[in-house]
Amino acid sequence: MKLAIDETRCKGCNLCTKVCPYHIFQAGKKPNKKGIVLPELDRPERCANCRLQYLYGRTLCGVCQLTCPDQAIHWVDEEPYEPMKVAIEY
Amino acid sequence: MSYEDWFRKDRLPHIFCAGCGNGTIINCTLAAIEQMDWKKDDTVFVSGIGCSSRASGYIITDSLHTTHGRAIAFATGVKMANPNLNVVVFTGDGDLAAIGGNHFIHACRRNIDITVVCMNNQIYGMTGGQGSPTTPKGCLSSTTPYGCVESPFDLSELAIAAGANYVSRWTSYHVKELEKAIKTGFETPGFSFIEALVQCPTAFGRRNKFKQVSDQIEYMKAHSLLKAKYDRLVESGEPVPTDMFIVGELAHRKRPVMGAKP
Ligand SMILES: Cc1ncc(C[n+]2csc(CCOP(=O)(O)OP(=O)(O)O)c2C)c(N)n1
Ligand code: SF4
Ligand code: SF4
Ligand code: SF4
Repeated sequence: MKLAIDETRCKGCNLCTKVCPYHIFQAGKKPNKKGIVLPELDRPERCANCRLQYLYGRTLCGVCQLTCPDQAIHWVDEEPYEPMKVAIEY
Repeated sequence: MSYEDWFRKDRLPHIFCAGCGNGTIINCTLAAIEQMDWKKDDTVFVSGIGCSSRASGYIITDSLHTTHGRAIAFATGVKMANPNLNVVVFTGDGDLAAIGGNHFIHACRRNIDITVVCMNNQIYGMTGGQGSPTTPKGCLSSTTPYGCVESPFDLSELAIAAGANYVSRWTSYHVKELEKAIKTGFETPGFSFIEALVQCPTAFGRRNKFKQVSDQIEYMKAHSLLKAKYDRLVESGEPVPTDMFIVGELAHRKRPVMGAKP
């Protein structure tokens, strides 16, 4: 699964940048069409939930999603055979 | 799969300001509900008036957005008419403790089987930042421009004294703990009160030296004292820091309940 920010919902509060243990969310720089500066994702494939939620059958961690006041953080399925980067944190 | 199914997706994004903590509390409440195997048809959300009280309108179940301060009165009616329903109240500090104060203490006294989640932002957010019964001493609001001089209500203590079966307090920083507390509140028969301290960057933070939304979160994180630690300090006779508030499960008991599921 892939981590994604819903552009139509995010209001750019940057709270997600404070809570992720991997610091996947980083404060963004460019405003989008609505003038909102969306956070950027730094190597989102490191997120525990992306990798393991199907295996465990439940949401793992998920703190960013619970914290996001605007319900903008979610996970989407990959396309079939979509090339994926593998990042492992030691 | 997740609690996202409980939102009225066509109503999102909600009207709360960027960084407003109310959205976080809705997430935690729905995440707790998701673990309860409650049916959407058997669940009712009730709220009064205020920013926080708009929460019930974003949830897909039947909901009542009632008059200011009367959420608990309406919820009592719903629960007594049909005790099989799961009734959850969203309320703000002004809604609950100022205009609705009497409904609150009497619902605790009756120990009616509902769960109340109070988003305590320590100010009247919707009407432009007037001081509320929970505005801490010294804090600025539009009605206390030189700093609040009154002593604030401790909502959780009030609920315990009035007889609620379950009382706990967390903040919008403690999302996982809050989720668990709300779930325990749902499971406990009788009146369950969960106080969630939240940031209100627009009306409170802006006036009280929290320039960024995250500054207020950091403040809440640094100034929350775990109940277990508080108990240890009291036991060993050490001084309890006066600028901190206690978080955790503050009451969990078995007083007689009104309106429980048959
Ligand atoms: C009977 C009545 N009195 C006053 C008001 C004005 N009013 C609307 S919201 C509000 C305060 C809400 O504060 P709170 O419950 O803390 O919610 P918040 O907006 O801070 O989330 C007041 C006084 C009203 N709508 N109805
Ligand atoms: S917490 Fe949510 S709304 Fe805030 S910046 Fe992150 S994704 Fe956007
Ligand atoms: S689920 Fe946890 S690890 Fe994954 S992005 Fe969110 S906060 Fe980070
Ligand atoms: S005024 Fe405060 S409580 Fe109301 S939506 Fe804005 S930040 Fe939230």
